[in-house]
Amino acid sequence: MADVIVAEGLTKSYGKQRGVIDLAFSVAPGEVFGYLGPNGAGKTTTIRTLLDFIRPTSGRVTVFGLDSRTGSVDIHRRTGYLPGELALYEKMTGAEYLAYFASLRDGVDWAYVGELAERLDLRLGMRIRSLSHGNRQKVGLVQAFMHRPELLVLDEPTSGLDPLVQREFHRLVAQVRGEGRTVFLSSHVMTEVERLCDRVGIIREGRLVTVEDVGDLKARAMRTLDIHFARPVPADAFANLPGVQDVEVQGELVHLTVAGHLDAVVKAAARYEVVDITSHEPNLEEIFLTFYGGDEDDGG
Amino acid sequence: MAAEAIPSSPMLHTVFTKTIRDQRRALMWWGLGFVGTVFMYSAFWPTIRSNAGQFNDYIAKLPEAVRNLIGGDYGTPRGYIQAEMFSLLTPVLLLVYAIGAGARAIAGEEEGGTLDLLLSAPIRRRRVMLDKFWAMVGAAFLLAFVTWAAIVVIGRPYGLTVSMLDLSAAVVNLFLLGAAFGSIALAVGGATGNRGMAIGVTSGLALITFIVKTLASSVPVMKPLRFLSPFYYYADHRPLATGFNAVDIAVLAGISVVALVAALVAFERRDLSA
Repeated sequence: MADVIVAEGLTKSYGKQRGVIDLAFSVAPGEVFGYLGPNGAGKTTTIRTLLDFIRPTSGRVTVFGLDSRTGSVDIHRRTGYLPGELALYEKMTGAEYLAYFASLRDGVDWAYVGELAERLDLRLGMRIRSLSHGNRQKVGLVQAFMHRPELLVLDEPTSGLDPLVQREFHRLVAQVRGEGRTVFLSSHVMTEVERLCDRVGIIREGRLVTVEDVGDLKARAMRTLDIHFARPVPADAFANLPGVQDVEVQGELVHLTVAGHLDAVVKAAARYEVVDITSHEPNLEEIFLTFYGGDEDDGG
Repeated sequence: MAAEAIPSSPMLHTVFTKTIRDQRRALMWWGLGFVGTVFMYSAFWPTIRSNAGQFNDYIAKLPEAVRNLIGGDYGTPRGYIQAEMFSLLTPVLLLVYAIGAGARAIAGEEEGGTLDLLLSAPIRRRRVMLDKFWAMVGAAFLLAFVTWAAIVVIGRPYGLTVSMLDLSAAVVNLFLLGAAFGSIALAVGGATGNRGMAIGVTSGLALITFIVKTLASSVPVMKPLRFLSPFYYYADHRPLATGFNAVDIAVLAGISVVALVAALVAFERRDLSA
Protein backbone atom coordinates (compact mmCIF):
# COMPACT_ATOMS: atom_id res chain seq x y z
CA MET A 1 0.00 0.00 0.00
CA ALA A 2 1.12 3.53 -0.74
CA ASP A 3 2.46 5.69 2.05
CA VAL A 4 -0.10 7.79 3.89
CA ILE A 5 2.11 10.85 4.31
CA VAL A 6 5.01 11.75 2.05
CA ALA A 7 7.02 14.92 2.55
CA GLU A 8 9.49 15.88 -0.17
CA GLY A 9 11.91 18.76 0.31
CA LEU A 10 9.32 20.44 2.50
CA THR A 11 10.49 23.91 3.48
CA LYS A 12 8.67 26.69 5.23
CA SER A 13 10.47 29.90 6.03
CA TYR A 14 9.12 32.84 7.97
CA GLY A 15 11.58 35.61 7.34
CA LYS A 16 13.90 35.64 10.32
CA GLN A 17 12.05 33.05 12.35
CA ARG A 18 12.98 29.45 11.83
CA GLY A 19 10.47 27.31 10.01
CA VAL A 20 11.32 23.88 8.67
CA ILE A 21 14.01 23.11 6.15
CA ASP A 22 14.02 20.47 3.44
CA LEU A 23 12.06 17.80 5.31
CA ALA A 24 11.77 14.39 3.67
CA PHE A 25 9.97 11.50 5.33
CA SER A 26 7.12 9.12 4.75
CA VAL A 27 4.60 7.45 7.01
CA ALA A 28 3.29 3.99 6.11
CA PRO A 29 -0.31 2.87 6.54
CA GLY A 30 -1.01 1.35 9.94
CA GLU A 31 2.07 2.92 11.44
CA VAL A 32 2.32 5.06 14.55
CA PHE A 33 4.88 7.67 13.64
CA GLY A 34 6.37 9.80 16.38
CA TYR A 35 7.58 13.28 15.60
CA LEU A 36 9.98 14.13 18.32
CA GLY A 37 11.70 17.40 19.01
CA PRO A 38 12.08 20.15 21.57
CA ASN A 39 9.57 23.00 21.67
CA GLY A 40 10.12 25.37 18.77
CA ALA A 41 11.87 22.79 16.60
CA GLY A 42 9.23 22.95 13.85
CA LYS A 43 6.82 20.16 14.79
CA THR A 44 3.72 22.33 14.73
CA THR A 45 4.87 24.04 11.54
CA THR A 46 5.13 20.65 9.84
CA ILE A 47 1.69 19.61 11.05
CA ARG A 48 0.03 22.87 10.04
CA THR A 49 1.54 22.54 6.56
CA LEU A 50 0.24 18.99 6.32
CA LEU A 51 -3.27 20.31 6.99
CA ASP A 52 -2.97 23.31 4.67
CA PHE A 53 -3.26 25.99 7.35
CA ILE A 54 0.07 27.27 6.09
CA ARG A 55 1.64 26.73 2.68
CA PRO A 56 5.12 25.40 1.92
CA THR A 57 7.75 27.86 0.73
CA SER A 58 9.10 25.02 -1.40
CA GLY A 59 8.73 21.28 -1.64
CA ARG A 60 5.47 19.50 -1.02
CA VAL A 61 3.68 17.08 1.21
CA THR A 62 1.05 14.58 0.13
CA VAL A 63 -1.49 12.81 2.33
CA PHE A 64 -3.31 9.75 0.94
CA GLY A 65 -1.53 10.61 -2.30
CA LEU A 66 -3.29 13.99 -2.42
CA ASP A 67 -1.43 17.25 -2.51
CA SER A 68 -1.82 19.10 0.80
CA ARG A 69 -2.98 22.23 -1.00
CA THR A 70 -5.29 20.99 -3.73
CA GLY A 71 -6.61 17.98 -1.87
CA SER A 72 -7.10 19.57 1.54
CA VAL A 73 -10.85 18.99 1.85
CA ASP A 74 -10.56 15.29 1.02
CA ILE A 75 -7.57 14.98 3.31
CA HIS A 76 -9.47 16.63 6.15
CA ARG A 77 -12.45 14.33 5.64
CA ARG A 78 -10.23 11.31 6.33
CA THR A 79 -8.11 12.88 9.06
CA GLY A 80 -8.63 13.61 12.75
CA TYR A 81 -6.64 16.50 14.17
CA LEU A 82 -5.72 17.62 17.65
CA PRO A 83 -3.91 20.96 17.74
CA GLY A 84 -1.04 21.62 20.10
CA GLU A 85 -2.59 24.84 21.36
CA LEU A 86 -6.15 23.70 21.76
CA ALA A 87 -8.79 26.44 21.75
CA LEU A 88 -12.47 25.56 21.88
CA TYR A 89 -15.70 27.59 21.82
CA GLU A 90 -15.97 28.56 25.46
CA LYS A 91 -19.71 29.15 25.57
CA MET A 92 -20.65 25.73 24.25
CA THR A 93 -20.96 22.52 26.19
CA GLY A 94 -18.72 19.64 25.18
CA ALA A 95 -21.71 17.92 23.59
CA GLU A 96 -22.66 21.01 21.58
CA TYR A 97 -19.10 21.44 20.43
CA LEU A 98 -18.87 17.85 19.27
CA ALA A 99 -22.31 18.01 17.64
CA TYR A 100 -21.17 21.06 15.66
CA PHE A 101 -18.04 19.31 14.41
CA ALA A 102 -20.01 16.14 13.75
CA SER A 103 -22.34 18.19 11.51
CA LEU A 104 -19.40 19.72 9.67
CA ARG A 105 -18.28 16.13 9.03
CA ASP A 106 -21.76 15.15 7.81
CA GLY A 107 -22.53 13.21 10.94
CA VAL A 108 -20.72 10.68 13.12
CA ASP A 109 -21.76 7.66 15.15
CA TRP A 110 -22.96 9.37 18.34
CA ALA A 111 -22.81 6.13 20.31
CA TYR A 112 -19.09 6.06 19.62
CA VAL A 113 -18.77 9.66 20.86
CA GLY A 114 -20.43 8.55 24.11
CA GLU A 115 -18.06 5.60 24.34
CA LEU A 116 -14.99 7.79 23.81
CA ALA A 117 -16.20 10.29 26.39
CA GLU A 118 -16.76 7.51 28.87
CA ARG A 119 -13.36 5.97 28.27
CA LEU A 120 -11.68 9.32 28.83
CA ASP A 121 -13.96 10.10 31.76
CA LEU A 122 -15.29 13.28 30.17
CA ARG A 123 -18.65 14.83 31.09
CA LEU A 124 -20.10 16.18 27.88
CA GLY A 125 -22.82 18.31 29.42
CA MET A 126 -20.40 20.78 31.03
CA ARG A 127 -19.71 24.18 29.53
CA ILE A 128 -16.24 24.30 28.03
CA ARG A 129 -15.57 27.53 29.91
CA SER A 130 -15.82 25.61 33.18
CA LEU A 131 -13.53 22.72 32.14
CA SER A 132 -9.98 22.23 33.33
CA HIS A 133 -7.12 22.12 30.85
CA GLY A 134 -7.08 18.32 30.97
CA ASN A 135 -10.82 18.08 30.33
CA ARG A 136 -10.61 20.45 27.40
CA GLN A 137 -7.87 18.25 25.99
CA LYS A 138 -10.29 15.32 26.26
CA VAL A 139 -12.91 17.21 24.25
CA GLY A 140 -10.21 17.80 21.64
CA LEU A 141 -9.29 14.12 21.63
CA VAL A 142 -12.90 12.94 21.23
CA GLN A 143 -13.26 15.43 18.41
CA ALA A 144 -10.19 13.97 16.69
CA PHE A 145 -11.21 10.31 17.10
CA MET A 146 -15.01 10.46 16.76
CA HIS A 147 -15.31 9.99 13.00
CA ARG A 148 -12.91 7.02 13.03
CA PRO A 149 -10.47 8.72 10.66
CA GLU A 150 -7.92 6.80 8.61
CA LEU A 151 -5.22 9.19 9.80
CA LEU A 152 -4.82 10.89 13.16
CA VAL A 153 -2.60 13.93 13.38
CA LEU A 154 -2.02 14.71 17.03
CA ASP A 155 0.13 17.62 18.18
CA GLU A 156 1.38 16.98 21.72
CA PRO A 157 -1.71 14.90 22.53
CA THR A 158 -0.99 14.05 26.15
CA SER A 159 -0.12 17.50 27.43
CA GLY A 160 -2.24 18.23 30.47
CA LEU A 161 -3.72 14.74 30.76
CA ASP A 162 -3.42 12.99 34.09
CA PRO A 163 -1.59 9.63 34.06
CA LEU A 164 -4.76 7.49 34.13
CA VAL A 165 -6.18 9.27 31.13
CA GLN A 166 -2.83 9.10 29.39
CA ARG A 167 -2.97 5.34 29.75
CA GLU A 168 -6.44 5.27 28.21
CA PHE A 169 -5.16 7.45 25.41
CA HIS A 170 -2.33 4.97 24.81
CA ARG A 171 -4.93 2.20 24.55
CA LEU A 172 -6.88 4.25 22.04
CA VAL A 173 -3.79 4.70 19.91
CA ALA A 174 -3.01 0.99 20.11
CA GLN A 175 -6.56 0.20 19.05
CA VAL A 176 -6.39 2.58 16.10
CA ARG A 177 -3.14 0.95 15.06
CA GLY A 178 -4.69 -2.50 15.45
CA GLU A 179 -7.38 -1.47 12.99
CA GLY A 180 -4.73 -0.60 10.42
CA ARG A 181 -5.22 3.13 10.78
CA THR A 182 -2.32 5.55 10.87
CA VAL A 183 -1.18 7.93 13.59
CA PHE A 184 1.21 10.87 13.29
CA LEU A 185 1.91 12.30 16.71
CA SER A 186 4.32 14.92 17.88
CA SER A 187 5.91 15.02 21.28
CA HIS A 188 8.82 16.43 23.16
CA VAL A 189 8.88 13.49 25.54
CA MET A 190 11.12 10.60 24.58
CA THR A 191 9.44 7.99 26.78
CA GLU A 192 6.00 8.69 25.35
CA VAL A 193 7.25 8.24 21.82
CA GLU A 194 9.12 5.07 22.81
CA ARG A 195 5.97 3.61 24.29
CA LEU A 196 3.57 4.47 21.48
CA CYS A 197 5.40 4.61 18.23
CA ASP A 198 6.81 2.26 15.62
CA ARG A 199 9.12 4.80 14.09
CA VAL A 200 10.38 8.16 15.16
CA GLY A 201 11.42 11.21 13.20
CA ILE A 202 13.57 13.53 15.24
CA ILE A 203 13.46 17.19 14.38
CA ARG A 204 15.78 19.84 15.66
CA GLU A 205 16.01 23.47 14.66
CA GLY A 206 13.80 22.91 11.66
CA ARG A 207 15.75 19.98 10.26
CA LEU A 208 14.90 16.31 10.38
CA VAL A 209 17.90 14.80 12.13
CA THR A 210 17.00 11.17 11.68
CA VAL A 211 14.14 8.75 11.20
CA GLU A 212 14.56 5.43 12.94
CA ASP A 213 12.75 2.45 14.35
CA VAL A 214 11.88 2.86 17.98
CA GLY A 215 13.65 -0.44 18.71
CA ASP A 216 16.95 0.95 17.43
CA LEU A 217 16.45 4.11 19.37
CA LYS A 218 15.75 2.22 22.56
CA ALA A 219 18.86 0.12 22.11
CA ARG A 220 20.83 3.33 22.30
CA ALA A 221 18.63 5.08 24.81
CA MET A 222 20.55 7.14 27.30
CA ARG A 223 19.93 7.12 30.99
CA THR A 224 21.61 8.86 33.84
CA LEU A 225 21.93 6.73 36.96
CA ASP A 226 22.59 7.77 40.54
CA ILE A 227 23.69 4.81 42.60
CA HIS A 228 23.91 5.09 46.33
CA PHE A 229 26.10 2.48 48.01
CA ALA A 230 26.32 1.54 51.66
CA ARG A 231 30.05 2.29 51.69
CA PRO A 232 32.40 4.28 49.47
CA VAL A 233 33.38 2.43 46.29
CA PRO A 234 36.70 2.59 44.42
CA ALA A 235 37.00 5.44 41.94
CA ASP A 236 37.58 3.06 39.05
CA ALA A 237 34.74 0.62 39.88
CA PHE A 238 32.73 1.71 36.82
CA ALA A 239 35.54 2.67 34.47
CA ASN A 240 35.76 1.12 31.01
CA LEU A 241 32.32 -0.49 31.06
CA PRO A 242 30.64 -0.73 27.63
CA GLY A 243 28.27 2.20 26.93
CA VAL A 244 29.13 3.99 30.17
CA GLN A 245 30.37 7.55 30.24
CA ASP A 246 30.65 10.60 32.48
CA VAL A 247 31.35 8.57 35.58
CA GLU A 248 31.64 10.58 38.79
CA VAL A 249 32.42 8.81 42.01
CA GLN A 250 32.05 10.75 45.26
CA GLY A 251 32.48 8.36 48.17
CA GLU A 252 29.40 6.17 48.33
CA LEU A 253 27.60 8.12 45.55
CA VAL A 254 28.13 7.27 41.88
CA HIS A 255 26.72 9.27 39.00
CA LEU A 256 27.02 7.95 35.45
CA THR A 257 25.40 7.91 32.02
CA VAL A 258 24.62 4.70 30.16
CA ALA A 259 23.68 4.18 26.53
CA GLY A 260 21.72 1.01 25.73
CA HIS A 261 21.51 -1.95 28.08
CA LEU A 262 22.12 -1.53 31.78
CA ASP A 263 23.47 -5.05 32.24
CA ALA A 264 27.15 -4.21 32.66
CA VAL A 265 26.46 -1.41 35.12
CA VAL A 266 24.10 -3.50 37.22
CA LYS A 267 26.58 -6.32 37.40
CA ALA A 268 29.40 -3.97 38.32
CA ALA A 269 27.26 -2.38 41.01
CA ALA A 270 26.24 -5.76 42.39
CA ARG A 271 29.76 -6.30 43.65
CA TYR A 272 29.01 -3.74 46.40
CA GLU A 273 26.12 -3.19 48.73
CA VAL A 274 23.52 -1.04 46.90
CA VAL A 275 21.19 1.22 48.89
CA ASP A 276 19.34 2.91 46.06
CA ILE A 277 19.37 3.38 42.29
CA THR A 278 17.69 6.36 40.63
CA SER A 279 17.37 6.57 36.85
CA HIS A 280 16.82 9.85 35.01
CA GLU A 281 15.66 10.46 31.50
CA PRO A 282 18.11 12.75 29.79
CA ASN A 283 16.47 15.71 28.07
CA LEU A 284 16.20 15.78 24.32
CA GLU A 285 19.03 18.23 23.90
CA GLU A 286 21.38 15.80 25.60
CA ILE A 287 20.21 13.01 23.33
CA PHE A 288 20.82 15.13 20.27
CA LEU A 289 24.24 16.14 21.43
CA THR A 290 25.25 12.59 22.18
CA PHE A 291 23.71 10.84 19.19
CA TYR A 292 23.69 13.34 16.44
CA GLY A 293 26.33 15.86 17.33
CA GLY A 294 25.81 19.45 18.36
CA ASP A 295 25.07 22.26 16.02
CA GLU A 296 27.75 24.90 15.63
CA ASP A 297 25.35 27.78 15.49
CA ASP A 298 24.30 29.37 18.69
CA GLY A 299 20.57 29.41 18.07
CA GLY A 300 19.19 27.11 20.71
CA MET B 1 -23.58 4.22 30.09
CA ALA B 2 -24.04 7.87 30.91
CA ALA B 3 -24.77 8.61 27.28
CA GLU B 4 -25.58 12.23 26.66
CA ALA B 5 -28.43 12.98 24.33
CA ILE B 6 -27.29 14.21 20.96
CA PRO B 7 -27.69 17.98 20.98
CA SER B 8 -30.08 18.22 18.06
CA SER B 9 -30.19 22.00 17.74
CA PRO B 10 -30.44 22.82 14.05
CA MET B 11 -28.38 25.88 14.93
CA LEU B 12 -25.31 23.65 15.25
CA HIS B 13 -25.45 22.38 11.68
CA THR B 14 -23.42 24.88 9.70
CA VAL B 15 -20.91 27.66 10.25
CA PHE B 16 -23.67 30.10 9.24
CA THR B 17 -26.22 28.91 11.80
CA LYS B 18 -23.59 28.48 14.51
CA THR B 19 -22.37 32.05 13.99
CA ILE B 20 -25.94 33.37 14.29
CA ARG B 21 -26.43 31.17 17.35
CA ASP B 22 -23.33 32.69 18.98
CA GLN B 23 -24.91 36.09 18.41
CA ARG B 24 -28.39 35.30 19.64
CA ARG B 25 -28.07 37.05 22.97
CA ALA B 26 -26.11 39.99 21.62
CA LEU B 27 -28.64 40.44 18.83
CA MET B 28 -31.48 40.51 21.32
CA TRP B 29 -29.82 43.34 23.23
CA TRP B 30 -28.95 45.24 20.07
CA GLY B 31 -32.53 44.82 18.86
CA LEU B 32 -33.80 46.20 22.16
CA GLY B 33 -31.40 49.10 21.76
CA PHE B 34 -32.84 50.01 18.37
CA VAL B 35 -36.39 49.63 19.64
CA GLY B 36 -35.59 51.77 22.67
CA THR B 37 -34.08 54.47 20.48
CA VAL B 38 -37.17 54.56 18.29
CA PHE B 39 -39.40 54.59 21.33
CA MET B 40 -37.56 57.49 22.92
CA TYR B 41 -37.70 59.69 19.81
CA SER B 42 -41.33 58.74 19.14
CA ALA B 43 -42.27 59.81 22.65
CA PHE B 44 -40.66 63.23 22.08
CA TRP B 45 -42.47 63.78 18.83
CA PRO B 46 -45.74 65.30 20.12
CA THR B 47 -43.77 67.93 22.07
CA ILE B 48 -41.46 68.66 19.18
CA ARG B 49 -44.34 69.01 16.76
CA SER B 50 -46.07 71.65 18.84
CA ASN B 51 -42.82 73.62 18.99
CA ALA B 52 -41.77 72.93 15.42
CA GLY B 53 -41.52 76.61 14.56
CA GLN B 54 -38.89 77.24 17.22
CA PHE B 55 -36.86 74.21 16.17
CA ASN B 56 -36.89 75.19 12.54
CA ASP B 57 -35.80 78.73 13.44
CA TYR B 58 -33.00 77.28 15.50
CA ILE B 59 -31.90 74.96 12.70
CA ALA B 60 -31.99 77.79 10.19
CA LYS B 61 -29.33 79.57 12.28
CA LEU B 62 -26.96 76.62 12.27
CA PRO B 63 -24.01 76.51 9.87
CA GLU B 64 -24.85 74.94 6.56
CA ALA B 65 -22.70 71.84 7.16
CA VAL B 66 -24.50 71.01 10.38
CA ARG B 67 -27.86 71.73 8.76
CA ASN B 68 -27.07 69.32 5.98
CA LEU B 69 -26.00 66.77 8.50
CA ILE B 70 -29.34 66.90 10.26
CA GLY B 71 -31.05 67.21 6.91
CA GLY B 72 -34.55 67.46 8.18
CA ASP B 73 -37.54 69.58 8.80
CA TYR B 74 -38.83 69.28 12.33
CA GLY B 75 -42.36 70.17 11.33
CA THR B 76 -43.19 66.91 9.57
CA PRO B 77 -42.96 63.29 10.74
CA ARG B 78 -40.73 62.56 7.76
CA GLY B 79 -38.36 65.38 8.53
CA TYR B 80 -38.26 64.47 12.19
CA ILE B 81 -37.56 60.78 11.55
CA GLN B 82 -34.88 61.71 9.04
CA ALA B 83 -33.22 64.16 11.39
CA GLU B 84 -33.42 62.24 14.64
CA MET B 85 -33.22 58.60 13.59
CA PHE B 86 -31.58 58.24 10.20
CA SER B 87 -29.07 61.06 10.05
CA LEU B 88 -26.73 59.81 12.74
CA LEU B 89 -27.95 57.52 15.46
CA THR B 90 -29.18 54.38 13.71
CA PRO B 91 -26.40 54.33 11.10
CA VAL B 92 -23.77 54.71 13.81
CA LEU B 93 -25.35 51.97 15.90
CA LEU B 94 -25.65 49.60 12.97
CA LEU B 95 -22.12 50.36 11.82
CA VAL B 96 -20.74 49.59 15.26
CA TYR B 97 -22.54 46.26 15.21
CA ALA B 98 -21.66 45.30 11.63
CA ILE B 99 -18.01 46.33 11.86
CA GLY B 100 -17.65 44.33 15.06
CA ALA B 101 -19.33 41.29 13.53
CA GLY B 102 -17.29 41.53 10.32
CA ALA B 103 -14.02 41.91 12.20
CA ARG B 104 -14.83 39.05 14.53
CA ALA B 105 -15.90 36.67 11.74
CA ILE B 106 -12.50 35.34 10.70
CA ALA B 107 -9.99 37.40 12.66
CA GLY B 108 -11.81 36.76 15.94
CA GLU B 109 -11.66 33.00 15.48
CA GLU B 110 -8.08 33.23 14.35
CA GLU B 111 -6.97 35.28 17.35
CA GLY B 112 -8.98 33.02 19.62
CA GLY B 113 -7.15 30.00 18.20
CA THR B 114 -10.33 28.19 17.12
CA LEU B 115 -9.86 28.64 13.38
CA ASP B 116 -7.35 25.79 12.94
CA LEU B 117 -9.78 23.20 14.23
CA LEU B 118 -12.69 24.66 12.28
CA LEU B 119 -10.67 24.41 9.07
CA SER B 120 -9.49 20.89 9.92
CA ALA B 121 -13.05 19.84 9.15
CA PRO B 122 -13.75 19.01 5.50
CA ILE B 123 -14.86 22.53 4.69
CA ARG B 124 -13.32 24.99 2.28
CA ARG B 125 -12.01 28.32 3.46
CA ARG B 126 -14.35 30.07 1.04
CA ARG B 127 -17.32 28.20 2.52
CA VAL B 128 -16.36 29.44 6.00
CA MET B 129 -15.95 32.98 4.68
CA LEU B 130 -19.29 32.91 2.85
CA ASP B 131 -21.12 31.53 5.89
CA LYS B 132 -19.58 34.22 8.10
CA PHE B 133 -20.48 36.86 5.51
CA TRP B 134 -24.13 35.80 5.38
CA ALA B 135 -24.32 35.63 9.16
CA MET B 136 -23.08 39.23 9.43
CA VAL B 137 -25.38 40.39 6.62
CA GLY B 138 -28.32 38.49 8.09
CA ALA B 139 -27.81 40.03 11.51
CA ALA B 140 -27.52 43.53 10.02
CA PHE B 141 -30.72 42.90 8.09
CA LEU B 142 -32.45 41.72 11.22
CA LEU B 143 -31.49 44.85 13.16
CA ALA B 144 -32.55 47.10 10.26
CA PHE B 145 -35.85 45.27 10.05
CA VAL B 146 -36.39 45.65 13.80
CA THR B 147 -35.86 49.40 13.36
CA TRP B 148 -38.38 49.47 10.52
CA ALA B 149 -40.95 47.54 12.52
CA ALA B 150 -40.37 49.70 15.59
CA ILE B 151 -40.98 52.91 13.67
CA VAL B 152 -44.13 51.49 12.10
CA VAL B 153 -45.53 50.06 15.33
CA ILE B 154 -44.32 52.52 17.95
CA GLY B 155 -44.46 55.67 15.84
CA ARG B 156 -48.12 55.37 14.95
CA PRO B 157 -49.69 56.02 18.40
CA TYR B 158 -47.52 59.14 18.67
CA GLY B 159 -48.71 60.35 15.30
CA LEU B 160 -45.32 59.68 13.73
CA THR B 161 -46.40 58.19 10.44
CA VAL B 162 -44.61 58.07 7.10
CA SER B 163 -45.14 56.18 3.87
CA MET B 164 -44.26 52.50 4.45
CA LEU B 165 -42.59 52.37 1.07
CA ASP B 166 -40.38 55.39 1.73
CA LEU B 167 -39.56 54.12 5.18
CA SER B 168 -38.61 50.78 3.63
CA ALA B 169 -36.32 52.58 1.20
CA ALA B 170 -34.56 54.38 4.05
CA VAL B 171 -34.21 51.16 6.05
CA VAL B 172 -32.87 49.23 3.06
CA ASN B 173 -30.21 51.92 2.61
CA LEU B 174 -29.45 51.67 6.32
CA PHE B 175 -29.07 47.92 6.07
CA LEU B 176 -26.89 48.11 2.95
CA LEU B 177 -24.68 50.77 4.55
CA GLY B 178 -24.14 48.50 7.57
CA ALA B 179 -23.48 45.48 5.36
CA ALA B 180 -20.98 47.47 3.28
CA PHE B 181 -18.83 48.47 6.24
CA GLY B 182 -19.30 45.07 7.84
CA SER B 183 -17.98 43.49 4.64
CA ILE B 184 -14.98 45.79 4.60
CA ALA B 185 -14.21 44.76 8.20
CA LEU B 186 -14.65 41.11 7.18
CA ALA B 187 -12.18 41.60 4.33
CA VAL B 188 -9.54 43.36 6.46
CA GLY B 189 -9.92 40.71 9.16
CA GLY B 190 -9.85 37.89 6.63
CA ALA B 191 -6.75 39.30 4.94
CA THR B 192 -4.78 40.03 8.10
CA GLY B 193 -6.20 37.86 10.88
CA ASN B 194 -6.03 40.97 13.04
CA ARG B 195 -9.35 41.89 14.61
CA GLY B 196 -8.22 45.17 16.11
CA MET B 197 -6.85 46.28 12.78
CA ALA B 198 -10.09 45.31 11.03
CA ILE B 199 -12.12 47.40 13.47
CA GLY B 200 -9.68 50.31 13.40
CA VAL B 201 -9.24 50.51 9.64
CA THR B 202 -12.94 50.15 8.91
CA SER B 203 -14.08 52.61 11.57
CA GLY B 204 -11.47 55.07 10.31
CA LEU B 205 -12.73 54.63 6.79
CA ALA B 206 -16.31 55.18 7.94
CA LEU B 207 -15.34 58.35 9.77
CA ILE B 208 -13.35 59.76 6.86
CA THR B 209 -16.03 59.02 4.26
CA PHE B 210 -18.65 60.51 6.56
CA ILE B 211 -16.63 63.70 6.92
CA VAL B 212 -16.03 63.83 3.16
CA LYS B 213 -19.75 63.54 2.49
CA THR B 214 -20.61 66.19 5.07
CA LEU B 215 -18.00 68.64 3.82
CA ALA B 216 -18.88 67.96 0.20
CA SER B 217 -22.39 69.19 0.80
CA SER B 218 -21.21 72.60 2.00
CA VAL B 219 -17.74 73.19 0.52
CA PRO B 220 -18.08 73.66 -3.25
CA VAL B 221 -14.52 72.55 -3.99
CA MET B 222 -15.17 69.20 -2.38
CA LYS B 223 -18.50 68.62 -4.00
CA PRO B 224 -17.26 66.13 -6.63
CA LEU B 225 -15.78 64.00 -3.85
CA ARG B 226 -19.20 63.13 -2.45
CA PHE B 227 -19.50 60.28 -4.93
CA LEU B 228 -16.66 58.56 -3.08
CA SER B 229 -18.58 58.34 0.17
CA PRO B 230 -21.00 55.50 0.94
CA PHE B 231 -22.90 57.98 3.11
CA TYR B 232 -23.79 59.96 0.00
CA TYR B 233 -25.62 56.94 -1.40
CA TYR B 234 -27.10 56.25 1.98
CA ALA B 235 -28.76 59.60 2.55
CA ASP B 236 -28.37 62.22 -0.14
CA HIS B 237 -31.22 61.08 -2.36
CA ARG B 238 -33.54 61.43 0.63
CA PRO B 239 -35.13 57.99 0.55
CA LEU B 240 -37.71 59.00 3.14
CA ALA B 241 -39.03 61.55 0.65
CA THR B 242 -38.30 59.95 -2.68
CA GLY B 243 -38.39 56.20 -2.02
CA PHE B 244 -36.10 53.56 -3.48
CA ASN B 245 -33.18 54.66 -5.60
CA ALA B 246 -31.55 52.05 -7.83
CA VAL B 247 -28.17 53.79 -7.85
CA ASP B 248 -28.00 53.91 -4.04
CA ILE B 249 -28.86 50.24 -3.77
CA ALA B 250 -26.48 49.19 -6.52
CA VAL B 251 -23.51 51.15 -5.14
CA LEU B 252 -24.02 50.17 -1.50
CA ALA B 253 -24.56 46.50 -2.36
CA GLY B 254 -21.64 46.71 -4.80
CA ILE B 255 -19.31 47.74 -1.96
CA SER B 256 -20.27 44.57 -0.07
CA VAL B 257 -19.73 42.40 -3.14
CA VAL B 258 -16.31 43.87 -3.93
CA ALA B 259 -15.24 43.57 -0.29
CA LEU B 260 -16.45 39.98 -0.16
CA VAL B 261 -14.53 39.02 -3.28
CA ALA B 262 -11.39 40.63 -1.87
CA ALA B 263 -11.97 38.79 1.41
CA LEU B 264 -12.34 35.44 -0.35
CA VAL B 265 -9.21 35.89 -2.45
CA ALA B 266 -7.03 37.14 0.40
CA PHE B 267 -8.19 34.51 2.88
CA GLU B 268 -7.70 31.68 0.40
CA ARG B 269 -4.11 32.59 -0.27
CA ARG B 270 -2.56 33.35 3.03
CA ASP B 271 -1.04 31.42 5.91
CA LEU B 272 -3.18 31.31 9.02
CA SER B 273 -1.48 32.49 12.17
CA ALA B 274 -1.03 29.87 14.82
